Formats: sequence, C-alpha cells, structure tokens
Amino acid sequence: MGAKFNKHHGGWIILGTLVLAALFTVLPLPDWLEAYRPEWVALVVIYWVVALPDRIGLFSAWITGFFMDVLEGSLLGLNALALALVAYLALSLYQRMRMFTAIQQSSTILILAGIHQLLSFWVLTANSQNTAPNLIFMISALSSAIIWPFVFLALRYIRRTFNVA
Amino acid sequence: MLGLALLSMIMMLADSRFSYLSQVRFYASYLVTPLHWLADSPRSISDSVNSNLQSRSYLIGENQRLKQQLLQQQFELQKLEHLKAENIRLNELLNASSIVDERVVQAQLTGESPDPFTKRVLINKGSVHDVYIGQPVIDAFGLMGQIVDVEPYASWVLLITDPQHSTPIQINRNGNRAIASGTQDSLQRLVLNNISDTFDVVVGDVLVTSGFGGRFPAGYPVGVVSNVLHDPGEPFATVTVEPTAQLERSRNVLLLFK
Repeated sequence: MGAKFNKHHGGWIILGTLVLAALFTVLPLPDWLEAYRPEWVALVVIYWVVALPDRIGLFSAWITGFFMDVLEGSLLGLNALALALVAYLALSLYQRMRMFTAIQQSSTILILAGIHQLLSFWVLTANSQNTAPNLIFMISALSSAIIWPFVFLALRYIRRTFNVA
Repeated sequence: MLGLALLSMIMMLADSRFSYLSQVRFYASYLVTPLHWLADSPRSISDSVNSNLQSRSYLIGENQRLKQQLLQQQFELQKLEHLKAENIRLNELLNASSIVDERVVQAQLTGESPDPFTKRVLINKGSVHDVYIGQPVIDAFGLMGQIVDVEPYASWVLLITDPQHSTPIQINRNGNRAIASGTQDSLQRLVLNNISDTFDVVVGDVLVTSGFGGRFPAGYPVGVVSNVLHDPGEPFATVTVEPTAQLERSRNVLLLFK
C-alpha cells in the first residue's frame, strides 16, 4: 500500500477536474446553445487516460459515467457505457495521441466524441426516448474537437503544477 | 470492456423497464446534488444581489403595483368563493363526488437537463419534502409537467412539451376532450393527437386538464390553440397549442398535493 501510495499522487486533482467538468455539463445554458455544449467529461476522461493510462482506465471512466447518469437524470448506465467505450478507445490510442499535433489530436477527439454521442443516441432511440430526425446531436462532437487544444493545455498545466502521476 | 458494457446494458434495461435501480440512483444522488446547487449558484447569487440592491423608488413602485394587483385579485377571489360554493352544491345535486381542494408547496427551478432532445427540469424539493413520482407541477399560469424522478433534495420534472409526455385535456369552450403531446421537432409547443377534421376546435381555444387518467386534477390551464391546419391529404387535422405556463421562464413553480 505504501509503495503504491508513493507512486501515485494527485488523485484529488483528477477527481477535482472531473467534478469541474461535470459542473460545466450541468451549467444552465440558453436553449439555442445547448446543442453546442462540448462533452466536457469525455474530454477530461480522455486526457487523463492518455496522460496516465496505468491509472485512469475503463473502470474509472465507467464510475464517472455512472455518476453523470445520476447527475443528468438520464438512463442509468448510458453515460457509463459511452464513457467506458471512449476510455477503451483512448487506451488503445494513447501512444499515438501523445505524438500527434494539435490538429491530429483534435480530429481524433472529433471521432471519439462522435462515437460517444452516437452511442448515447442509439441507446436513447432504442429506448424510444429519442426520434430526432437530424444530425444536430453531432454538433457537440465538433465543439469538443474545437475546444480540445485548450482543455489539453489547461489539464497539462494542472498535471505539471500539481505533479499528478 | 465487455464486462462493463454488459453491466451497463443490464443496468439500462433494469432502469428503463423495472424499478430495481431507483434506490441506487436515490443514494448516489446524495453525492451529486451539491453539484446542481453549485451550478445554480451564479443565478441564485445574482438573484439575491439583485433583490438587495434595488433602489428605494423602484421598491416603492413595485410595492404599490403589487398592492393594486392583490386588491384586484382579492376582488376576483370573492366571486370565486361564491362560485366554488355554488359549484359544490350543484355537484351535490348531481350526486357527483365533490372536488377536493389541492394543497400547493412552492419550489424553485435549480437546473435543466443538458440533453437537448428532452424537456426536463430539476427542482429543489425532494423526498424529504414528500415529493412523489407523478405529482403535478404548475406555475402561476398553468400546468408545467409532472415529477418523474425523486431524489432526497431534488426532483426531476418532465415538462408537458417533452416528446414523451401526453396530457389529457379538454377544450374550455365546449368540453371536447383530446390528448395533447409534446413533439420532437419543436420543444416549445404541443400538438393534439388524432383530431378529426370535424372536431370543434378553433384558434384561441383555451385547453384545460380534463382530469382523465387520474394524474392531473381537472381544470388547470394547459395551453391556447395557436394553429389549426386541415390538410385534405392527411387523415387528421394538425392542431398546435402554445402552453400557457411559462415553461422557459418560470423560476418559481408549485407542487400540487392531493
């Protein structure tokens, strides 16, 4: 336990960034802006998976998603599944992600966030909570990709400042 | 990954079809409710700052206006008392069961569902305030929706404009009954389902709850008909309804207790 404790530190920082992302997710927005809200939690989970793949993985992502479901009042397990899938993909991509330029990273995020959205959309449709005939739900994947470089820089600054490992 | 995916799917199935997981959600929400309070804090702080920093003349003016409004409404209330008594007498003559008076408790909106395809809002009263699932929620102008999920200190309200929500209604003018549902393409309006072309409804008709289904008490305003379209190519008329409740603006709502 002691050795493990020395190796890993800054767990509170990780939790703090996740809570902040969750807060951004439920912050009230005007209706027209609602569809453009980036996937804050998915972005933060992806960052930590890429930065600390031995520490943040599927299970942490799943737990985060579970609490997001409770927070949003959505179907229990919906966000959990989507976030675990995103973490799984990020886990298989993290070595490449670290080498990517900002543009390449953003396009990867576009795809990951798109998968996250698509999965939620499928489940909601299967559960007949959703019959929207358009692709407007994909806009948030685009805004996530656009905002990713800033999230990345902010989180990297936090990680280095607080020496999260 | 497969294990977690399977677990999530089982959970989603259990959550959507059965109620095994409502306890899990209930206890987990103790952890996340503070986040909703935090997310709402800018608004509540600005509200309190606003009310503390009003100028004296504004307050005096508002006070006068409110007093006048109160007088007007008390005058109308006097007539209402009389009408209510008369109504009860007439109902007794008809051997109908008397209408029960409802008790209301005030609640405040503290959040909104981030999902752009649903219309759900969060209010700051929960199971510790005896809120129950299916409870009607109104604002000062009409029916807003019903409680679908109860947490200890908060509950989710499904608004009447949600595509999954339907409200049994009655036209105030002639007593015709219909069902008003939310639509996916506009989350601001309601439509009446399966209205034949001969159904007597015109623009401007006021719709009130019919009390059918036993969920909403009868007589609460739901909406005003804003458009009636008779398309010869369609089997039914398209009747669009604007909700009377200020679904997008009301901050103070009322919970009806039977």
